[in-house]
Formats: sequence, C-alpha cells, structure tokens
Amino acid sequence: MTAPALPAGVRPVVVASPATGARGAIRQVLGRPDGLIGFLILVVFTALAIAPDLLVGPLQTAITGSGPRLGPPSAAFPFGTDELGRSILNLLVHATRISMVIGFLATIVTVVIGAVLGIVSGYVGGRFDALTMRIADFFLVIPTFVLAIILTAIIRDVLGTGSREVFGIRLSLLTIVVVIGITSWSSTARIIRSQTLSLKERAFVDRARVVGASSGHIMRRHILPNVMNLIVANAVLTFAGAILTETTLSFVGLGDPFQPSWGQLLDAARSVGAPGLGAWWYFVPAGTCIVLVVFAFTLLGSALDAVLNPKLRSRR
Amino acid sequence: MTDVADLVRPDGSAIRGRRQWPLPKLADPTAPLLVVDGLTVRFSMPSGSVKAVDDVSFRLDDGEALGIAGESGCGKTTTALSLVQLLPANGRIKAGRVELFGIDLVPKTERQLARYRWREISIVFQGAMNALNPVRRIGEQIGEPIEVRLGVPRDGARRRAEELLELVGIPRKRAAAYPHELSGGMRQRAMIAMALACDPAIVIGDEPTTALDVMVQAQILQLLETLRRELGLSLILITHDLSVIAETCDRVLIMYAGRVAEEGPVRRVFTAPRHPYTQKLLAAFPNIHADRRTLDVIPGLPPDLRNPPPGCRFAPRCQSAMPVCTEVVPPEVRFADGVRVACHLYPTGDAAAPAARLPAATEPAPPGPAR
Repeated sequence: MTAPALPAGVRPVVVASPATGARGAIRQVLGRPDGLIGFLILVVFTALAIAPDLLVGPLQTAITGSGPRLGPPSAAFPFGTDELGRSILNLLVHATRISMVIGFLATIVTVVIGAVLGIVSGYVGGRFDALTMRIADFFLVIPTFVLAIILTAIIRDVLGTGSREVFGIRLSLLTIVVVIGITSWSSTARIIRSQTLSLKERAFVDRARVVGASSGHIMRRHILPNVMNLIVANAVLTFAGAILTETTLSFVGLGDPFQPSWGQLLDAARSVGAPGLGAWWYFVPAGTCIVLVVFAFTLLGSALDAVLNPKLRSRR
Repeated sequence: MTDVADLVRPDGSAIRGRRQWPLPKLADPTAPLLVVDGLTVRFSMPSGSVKAVDDVSFRLDDGEALGIAGESGCGKTTTALSLVQLLPANGRIKAGRVELFGIDLVPKTERQLARYRWREISIVFQGAMNALNPVRRIGEQIGEPIEVRLGVPRDGARRRAEELLELVGIPRKRAAAYPHELSGGMRQRAMIAMALACDPAIVIGDEPTTALDVMVQAQILQLLETLRRELGLSLILITHDLSVIAETCDRVLIMYAGRVAEEGPVRRVFTAPRHPYTQKLLAAFPNIHADRRTLDVIPGLPPDLRNPPPGCRFAPRCQSAMPVCTEVVPPEVRFADGVRVACHLYPTGDAAAPAARLPAATEPAPPGPAR
C-alpha cells in the first residue's frame, strides 16, 4: 500500500459506485451473506454440471444398472438405486448437467429476446412499441405453465422428435429451451422497456443524438450499458424459473426421456410409484437439488438486485 | 486553401489555413464565417405559438468570440441551437438565413445538416454531469463524435480522444475514468474536448461555466480563450453572467424577449450602454469598485411571448418609455463605434454611421402594432 499514513482505525473511504462496473458489484454481492451463500451453492452445482464424470464416471455407467432394484442407500450406492438397478447418485449428477444446460440456454434466449425487444420498443416507441407490448401482455396474462404445455406439443410437431441434433443439442432439449424462452421473455422486456423510457429522456442521449449517433448506436452504446444491471439481475432470476419450468415439463412427461434431468428423475420416481413404496431415496435427492439451485439463484438474484438497483441502494 | 490572405488576423495567423478538413464543397472561401440574418423561431405549444426568437441578426468572424447575454427565456439558447437546427420537436425556424461560409443552412435537410453539425459547429453543453453517460468511460464518449461523424474506427477515435483530453489539460490516462470519478471542472473540460473532437470552426458554449465554482470557472474560461487563440476557433458564449462575457468575448449581443436589444464591441457596450435594458442589466450587476450594498433591479417581468406587447418589448418595464415605444417596433440603428441598438431613444443612430457590419438593415418597422 502506498497510501499516506492515516490515523489508526481510519480507513480510506472507497465509494462503491454504480458505474465502476462489474468488479465492484461482484465484490459487493459476495460481501453479502445471501450473495455469498447463493454463489457457493451454484459453484458446486456448476462444477458437477461441467465435470460429472469426475465424481461418478461417464454417462454409460449410469445407464447400465448393476445394483439391486430400488435398493436403499448403501456403501456402493450412496443414494440407493432405481427400479432398473441404476445408481441414483450417478443419474442425479448427470441430470445436473442437463438441467443446468437447459436453464442456461433458456436464460440466454429469454434475456436476449427480452432485452432486445425491451430496449428497441422503449427507444423507438410508436406502433412497434404498442404491438410488442400487447404481445408481451398476452404472455404475461396467460398462465405460463398451461401455455408451455401447449407450446411444447406444437413445437415438437414443427421441429419433429427423435435424436436429431441442432448445434450439438438434442432437438427435444432445444424444444424445452425454446418454450421457456417464449413464455418468459415478456417480464424482462417490460422491465427493460420501462428503464429505457426513462433513460432516453436523459441529457446524454440527447447529446449523443446531437453528436450524430444513430438510433442503433445509441441503443447499443448508451442504453444497453445502462440497463445491464437489470439484465444481469433478471437473468439470474430467470435461470431459477427456467429450471423449475424444465422440471415441471419433464415431470408431466414432456421432457426428453433419453436425457436424465431432475424433472425426469422425479417423473420416473412417480411412474414407478416410489413414494408409495417408501423409496424416498429415489425422489428426495432430485427434489433437494432443485430446491437448492432455485434457492441459490433467488439469493444471488436478490443480492444482485440490492447492489445494482439504484433505488434499493439509496434506501440502504 | 489559398484565399486565406484576406482573412489574416491582426496577430498574423491565417485561421482558415489551420483547418484540418477542407471547407464544405459549396463554401465561398471569401464569405464571412457566420452571418445570421432575420432569424425567427417559433415554438408551437398547446396554448399558442411562442415567438421565442424574432428577427435576430448578427455576424461572427473567424477567431472572434461573441457573447449572447440576457435573462432566462430571452431566446439565447434557442438562437444558438437553431444555427444547426437542434431545436426541440415543436420548434421551427420561420424565417431568416443562417449562412456559414456563405452557405445557407436553414433550407438544408436533416441529412445535409449532418455535414455541419459538430464538424463545423459544435456545442459545449451545460451540466456536464448529465450530458455524460454515467456508465461509459469518458475517453469513449469524447471519441464518439469522431467515430460517428468522421467514421474513424473505435481505436483511432480513442487515441484521438486522449490527445483531446491532453489539449484541455486532463492527463491521458484519465480517458479510462468514468464521469463520476472526475471533478466538476474536469467534466466540463471533457465536454470541451468533445466539442473539439471534429475540429469545428465554431464552438457554442451554452452556459459552460454555470454551476462551477469561481476558481474552476476562471480556469474553464481561460482554457476556452487559449483554445480559441491556438486552434483559431470562433466562440459563441451563451451566458447570463456578464462578467464572463466581459472577460472572454470580443463582441456582445444583448437579447431581450427574443429580440436583439443592443449589439457591439464588449468594451463599448459595457462602458457606454445605450439601450435602457442594457443600462439596467449592467446596473443590476455588482461592481467591486462601487460602494453600494444594494443592486438595482429591473421592475416587472419579461413579457409573455405567446402574445408580446406591440412596439418595443421592453417598453412596459422601461423608465424612458415614450408613447411611440408601445406602438412601433424600434428599428435597429448603427453607431460609428460599431454598436447596434434597437431603441426609439436613438431614432437615427449617429448620422455618421455607415451601414457597417451587416449587409442590409432589417426591414423598417411596420406601422401600428406588430404581430
């Protein structure tokens, strides 16, 4: 430290500002208990999703059952086995990957659609805005899950099923990603639009226009950086919602039966009648994982919101 | 450019020769820098049409600094913004010419104006904090006009922005700073750097020193003065602070209720004000040599510009008002010392006054109430 000597106990005041970007915000989020806990839980699950093989071996070992049918937890099978004698732990870890990938992709789709439509319709206004927002209202008003079920069936029909792959993703997974994206972009778009409406009246937007910047330039370089905090906070909450939606769709049998996800596990447990048979090890781990991940995202999301949202910040 | 010989300033510098970019294609190299003639601007409001600027004429030469003064709402900013047609959506230029290098900008389309905005006439905005995007580095923002106006790629624009920062007295490395990390004075310097980005001929300072403390104010004015001398800029300084104009400008234009009250060399106008409004304005200004504790105020309020009084707009508040003042718009008369006044107290100016600065005088006052 090269700072001049300060009286003992006096620390230089570091003004954590809204603008000094990502690093300061991350430090603040991790400085809060909710942010830190959420972050740590997610680190664990992300590690599992990235390298499931390290803990339980490749997916092949999960597919071949080698244990007792519906066996309770034991030394060889810490989380017990399913009705085909497969290790639940093994399935669970691989399911983590699928669930997280779906959540991640669905979040990207949602946030990109929501941010682009929100910024453009807020900035451009007029008929485009009116049309976009009526469509958004439609998606906000219709119960998401009912819509998701119908859409899944329709998109399945359009895209077809089977083991075809698009961008290395199985089509049935992609269907779920698209469905989640379509059903959840509207609230993001609404939030970002309202912020854009306020931003476009600010003097720096006028100045940029006077300087000669085009609308596209202003939206990309001036509005987007200013709504980035909303996008990030929204993305985190969307991720939690996406995982829940995926679980529910899989649970009612609209998932991809060939790819284990947490929802698939729950669905399998239900169809075997695991709860009635007292085979709690079949459904409790998957349920716990879902609750933990959603909980972690919610914690992280509220921490991010508190750090990045200027209104909440001034209240502290 | 070879025709700069006749545009040499007393100190011997050929101002147009310093331009980085050639003059616009249609420019007449011998024409004066800027001639505004009969500029009239209206704002349409739900409650009626506001005559914000009415028949304003002035001229700006290379390297000159013109101050536009007057109280709030007298049309200073509107006049300046209409030079490059940056008026709010409800504002329109109804009449008049704005000739830059002899090119009339008023009939130009938005697209054609793009050639002149910022590249020939740029603006230092008031309130630098608001005019800067809080989440972008100032270097990027200063480089923005270079990027969008001159089509320079991002890297080049950023390098140029650093040079500009150095020019206005901010260390290069501060280009990476965010606006809130700079002091008020530095932010204003950054705004000046942004105005200089495309090497303009004219820089309009719209209250560039408002909300700055006196020391910083002095630094900013000094900077503008230095830049004017070194870059051969011409300045239009809009302010209600007469001391700022006294310090930096060659000529001053006093506006009242959308019209020119008096215009002329700063020294003449400030030492021997002719228009009663100018006299009042100067009397309302503290004089450090005088022993007075109180200042004169001008009784009354400026007129409602939706329905201005006929005749001289200052007449209702003027102590020297005569019957003619409330009926006939005073014509602008010229004096030999280069001052132009619109007041019935001076029906003919002094007889010796040649039609000096402007090509043609404005049209004679119409009889009866002017609408």
